[in-house]
Amino acid sequence: MKKKSHLIFLFTAVILLFTACVKDTDFDQSDDILLTPAIVLDFLFFNLGSENFTDIGVNNLVVSDTTFFDLLIEDFTIDNLIKADFYFKNTNSFSIQLNTQYQFLDENNDVYYEIIIPVNSGSLSNPVITEHIEIIEEGTIVNLTKADKVVVNVIAPSSLDNLDGILNLQSKTIYYLSLEQ
Amino acid sequence: MFWIVSLLSQNKEVLYGLEETPQAMLLNPGSRISYEYHFGVPLLSHIHVNGGSSGVSVYDIFQESSLDINTRISNKIFELENTDFFTATQQLEILNFGWKNKKNYYFSGGIYQEFDFILYFPKDLAILAWEGNANYIGKEFNLGEINVSGDLLTVYHFGVNKKINKKITVGVRAKLYSSMLSFSSTSNSGTFVTIPSESGDNIYDHIVSNATINVNTSGITSLSDLDTRTQVINKLLGRSFFGGNLGIGVDLGATYEINEKWTASASILDLGAIFHKKNIESYQVSGEYNLDGIELLFPPLGNGDSSLPYYEDLIDDIGAAFTIDTIYNSYIQMRPVKMYASVKYNFGQAIGGDKTCNCLKMGENQKYNQSIGFQYFSIIRPKGPQIAATLFYYHRLSDYFSVKATYTADSYSYSNVGLGLITNIKMVNFYIVADNLQWYSNLAKAKSVSLQFGFNIIIDKNE
Repeated sequence: MKKKSHLIFLFTAVILLFTACVKDTDFDQSDDILLTPAIVLDFLFFNLGSENFTDIGVNNLVVSDTTFFDLLIEDFTIDNLIKADFYFKNTNSFSIQLNTQYQFLDENNDVYYEIIIPVNSGSLSNPVITEHIEIIEEGTIVNLTKADKVVVNVIAPSSLDNLDGILNLQSKTIYYLSLEQ
Repeated sequence: MFWIVSLLSQNKEVLYGLEETPQAMLLNPGSRISYEYHFGVPLLSHIHVNGGSSGVSVYDIFQESSLDINTRISNKIFELENTDFFTATQQLEILNFGWKNKKNYYFSGGIYQEFDFILYFPKDLAILAWEGNANYIGKEFNLGEINVSGDLLTVYHFGVNKKINKKITVGVRAKLYSSMLSFSSTSNSGTFVTIPSESGDNIYDHIVSNATINVNTSGITSLSDLDTRTQVINKLLGRSFFGGNLGIGVDLGATYEINEKWTASASILDLGAIFHKKNIESYQVSGEYNLDGIELLFPPLGNGDSSLPYYEDLIDDIGAAFTIDTIYNSYIQMRPVKMYASVKYNFGQAIGGDKTCNCLKMGENQKYNQSIGFQYFSIIRPKGPQIAATLFYYHRLSDYFSVKATYTADSYSYSNVGLGLITNIKMVNFYIVADNLQWYSNLAKAKSVSLQFGFNIIIDKNE
């Protein structure tokens, strides 16, 4: 009788061990897992003097430079970038207002996004800071991810030939990603 | 080059000291042996699976709840520490045998296959991946938290056990390791931080400092050349039979019967190393870099001139700042040393091996049919030793049925309840051991689960 009860106990225990269950869980929730990191990176910076204008020619009013920026057209970026905040900090000691223009172009030089920032005039003794935040939301972010280069134009309304000063730019971008499982 | 790779979840707190099962000898080669011969049923004498995490359960993440799963994950990321870990362990005994000679030496040997995996939780990198760096200006993300290893190996072992007097039983086991594949990344360092620019050139400095990431592999890259799963299996099987990277080790153990009531035992396992000489490919990435964006120079270009390759130069600079070396040097991998110690108090019904008395017969050394005791377990891990403490109660209910219940505090939990059942019916020995029983009604809530079972044939001439 004792042996029988022990065997029943053993059998029951083994059955229980092999019939352990997982409950009150919903593994379909894994489809909802979403990584949403916000990554801040420095963008462009420069220091622009009047010689950058005059080296091109007398009374030249526009200077330009271009950089590729393939980060925007990486598959990872195209698939996951949902928003981008560009922050531009212009410090101007020229005594005239300048316009800065950022054009995001694709390989055919088609413009997909453009940012224009009027920069307030300052002075050598009192440089003036002009800040600009450009928030590119979900509806237009697709344009940004088609551009592989950025053209920067700095436009003066009048000649800088006889003006001293510096236009300093600092900038950063916060990239908002959404990574699904 | 030395490093220690951890085998985790190896604490078999229930099986330790269960002298009715031959597998107890693998946990203490100096355990007391009361039978003449044993044979493990090939491939069925010891099956062990374990998976766990020290800081999070499946339920913590996937519970049915109104709280969004991403919030639960986020909460856990900040709750876990970089010393928390995820493990998986599996063992399959292929062969196990033993016999006692005329001089009362008990010889035993066998083969088992083992897989182990451990990943320490890289908290800083998890935060970086989950939230990014935008809200963490000034925080140093520790790249050295990367710590992962995995091993697949076969172990050949042969041991001898001897009761040298009435009180002391000692044993030693030699081991030959045949590594089928191995990978580890355990010696890493470096930081990544975003801080306000010190030079003032741009807004931030994104600085990677003193980064060194090592990945060591053995037996893995050669598998990538194979086309079919059959080829991979055949290759691994070849390595399991001495065709892989070999190593040697030793287990030592002893049992001391202090008096009729008290018994102490201790063992030290896997004192050894694997010498990786074949199919090695290790990688090391090191360097440092300070990123502050792209500086435009506005050069006076003529018509048709290309702009300066700012972006390409940046990528090239980053590439040049980090050297990536592929290393084929042999290396030594220390085995994780494990230690057990136990003291127990015996009580209850007196039993013994004397045929003249109506006693339980399975263990001539078992003076009483019940015992309570304390066990200690430790294992050397990459981030230091980890310790488990166990209280246990053992009861031999009859001459063919014993139970052992345990309560363990370890890295996974402070309330791990385990149970082992052992039967000896005729010559057939069967045991089954599991822990975290309190969660068996819902395993999702357990931070670790472990199950061991097996069949042996045990021959005792006294029966």
